[in-house]
Amino acid sequence: MNLWNKLMCYSRRHSPWLFHMNGGSCNGCDIELIASLTPRYDAEQLGVRLEGSPRHADILCITGPITKTAVNAVKTVYDQVCDPKAVIAIGSCPATTNVFVESRTLAGPLNKHIPVDVFVPGCPPRPDAIILGVAKAAEILAERAGKKQIAEPVVMPLVGPGCNGACACGGEAKTAANPEEVAQ
Amino acid sequence: MRILSMLWSNLWGRPRTLLFPKRPVVTERFRGLVRFDPALCSGCAICKMRCTAKAIEFKAGKGEFTWSYEPGQCTFCGRCVEGCKDHALSQDSECPPIYTAIGELKTAYTVARKTTVKPAAAPQPAVAAPAAVPAIPASGETE
Amino acid sequence: MNLITALARLLIFPGLVFAVPAAWFFLWVERKAVARMQGRIGPPFMQPFFDFVKLMGKSTPPRNGIGGLLMRAWPLIAVSSAAGAVGLLPVLPASGGFQGDLILLLALLELPSMCIIAAGFSSGSIFGEIGSAREAVLSVSYNIVFLLAIVSIAASQHTFSLAALAQQSASPLRWLGILAILVCLPAKLHLNPFSLPNAEQEIYSGPITEYAGPELAMWELSHGLEWVAATGLVATLAAPVLATWWAAALVFVALCFGLVLLLSVVAAATARLQIDTTVRFYWQCTLIFAVLAVASALFMRFRA
Repeated sequence: MNLWNKLMCYSRRHSPWLFHMNGGSCNGCDIELIASLTPRYDAEQLGVRLEGSPRHADILCITGPITKTAVNAVKTVYDQVCDPKAVIAIGSCPATTNVFVESRTLAGPLNKHIPVDVFVPGCPPRPDAIILGVAKAAEILAERAGKKQIAEPVVMPLVGPGCNGACACGGEAKTAANPEEVAQ
Repeated sequence: MRILSMLWSNLWGRPRTLLFPKRPVVTERFRGLVRFDPALCSGCAICKMRCTAKAIEFKAGKGEFTWSYEPGQCTFCGRCVEGCKDHALSQDSECPPIYTAIGELKTAYTVARKTTVKPAAAPQPAVAAPAAVPAIPASGETE
Repeated sequence: MNLITALARLLIFPGLVFAVPAAWFFLWVERKAVARMQGRIGPPFMQPFFDFVKLMGKSTPPRNGIGGLLMRAWPLIAVSSAAGAVGLLPVLPASGGFQGDLILLLALLELPSMCIIAAGFSSGSIFGEIGSAREAVLSVSYNIVFLLAIVSIAASQHTFSLAALAQQSASPLRWLGILAILVCLPAKLHLNPFSLPNAEQEIYSGPITEYAGPELAMWELSHGLEWVAATGLVATLAAPVLATWWAAALVFVALCFGLVLLLSVVAAATARLQIDTTVRFYWQCTLIFAVLAVASALFMRFRA
């Protein structure tokens, strides 16, 4: 069913739905993310929709250096996003914790906890850079999902409190280096 | 009513959006990636001390030093550029590029220290501190 | 009416084959019109179709027990009832039409919002419950006006049959009822200023918070079909009687399109109203209006 796969790949690239999560940021990057939906930069021309629920979204946009109080929430939300998914680290903070590098309230950069696909540097990054990041993440997501040949959907269990061990790992995989591991 | 007339004029006017790959022209005061010119740098490491995010690393070696810059760590504040007395640092007026792997954009330069000519020591006047001044040859010393 | 024609009406026009692309088209028109009025470009043409395909390719979280089964069922019921409502519309001249009843059409139009309410409660998330409660309050408020308007239209023409309603040309009383229905439409379709159940910043997508993948695709499709059905109802009530079937079909599509544009203008020009303002609006302002319509219809009936 090559035609279906091609159609699916095209649709995944052209319909990235975002969910935005603040992992302890100063809100500068959050404001620029919302600014990318305004008329001048209009992310909707790429089909981007800012969704209200992580279950609806494909792409998780995380801002902020991940503080100790936010890290569990970020991991839970990452698990709630359904496959196929991608993660964008917006701003310099989630990539490398930026100026807060010696702070004792941080739990480390984002890629220590969840696999990140695109980093958009800047403090804060311009909205057009964020849109470029979203387009790149949609491309990465479409390619990765196409390679995984999602003919039957991969069930993503809810890892965390209340995990019923339904997946193959039996509840042991709390974090993963890449989504393929968690799914298996 | 004002809203309706605004909607009407928007509907028939041109949208103000930048079509996707086009990006806006930023002013020349925009603080982007830091650019390093090894020819001008004298290795004082003031930029490393002034850096707020510890994005600049400076390792001194024998007769050379290594200057490296991690744009992912940088907060683009411009303190390094302001503090460089040799004007070896400047900031792009373009946005930093997006990347997909940590450390992808890190740049490092190894620069040989420039030879400096110490100014010739002025011949000490005989009235200088007696017996405390070691005899210094009048010719300048070079390293 | 023979079986072939009935099946054609149900499945092809204005049934499934027309309704599903029309749903996507109207969803696109609304997003594009709102975007243009806000000075943006808006999504490209086939965007709702790509959204649908992409959602079909996503995985869903495991759903256990009877709650899980119900959760999977609600979007399917919503889609099928909305598609049935569209198929029942008396677009084409009634000589071969699907002889449906106004009551049946109304019931089918109501089911999607009932399904949303039930889905919010059966999903077990608190956001779903709050969203469903709001949707229930909204539904009670606008349905009073909606049903009164429909009753007044039917009473003024002395019939509940859809085909007969479509045959007769519109009397002034019918326009009053149509106006009342138009006022209810933004609430029915979850548009600003009555988009409370979908309030993103407050309750994270409301009743459909826990849905993902193909189930969410079905919800989006049922939303689009609701657009077609609701605007189609007003279009068939307002359309002039035409002899040839293709002229009637064209006028129907054109009227629906115009209504979608009108609703987009309303959606772009207003902000979301709070629940108490919404309820007050429907019960105070339009209730009087609808009562007037019913009273005048009954008066006309007893006079005739």
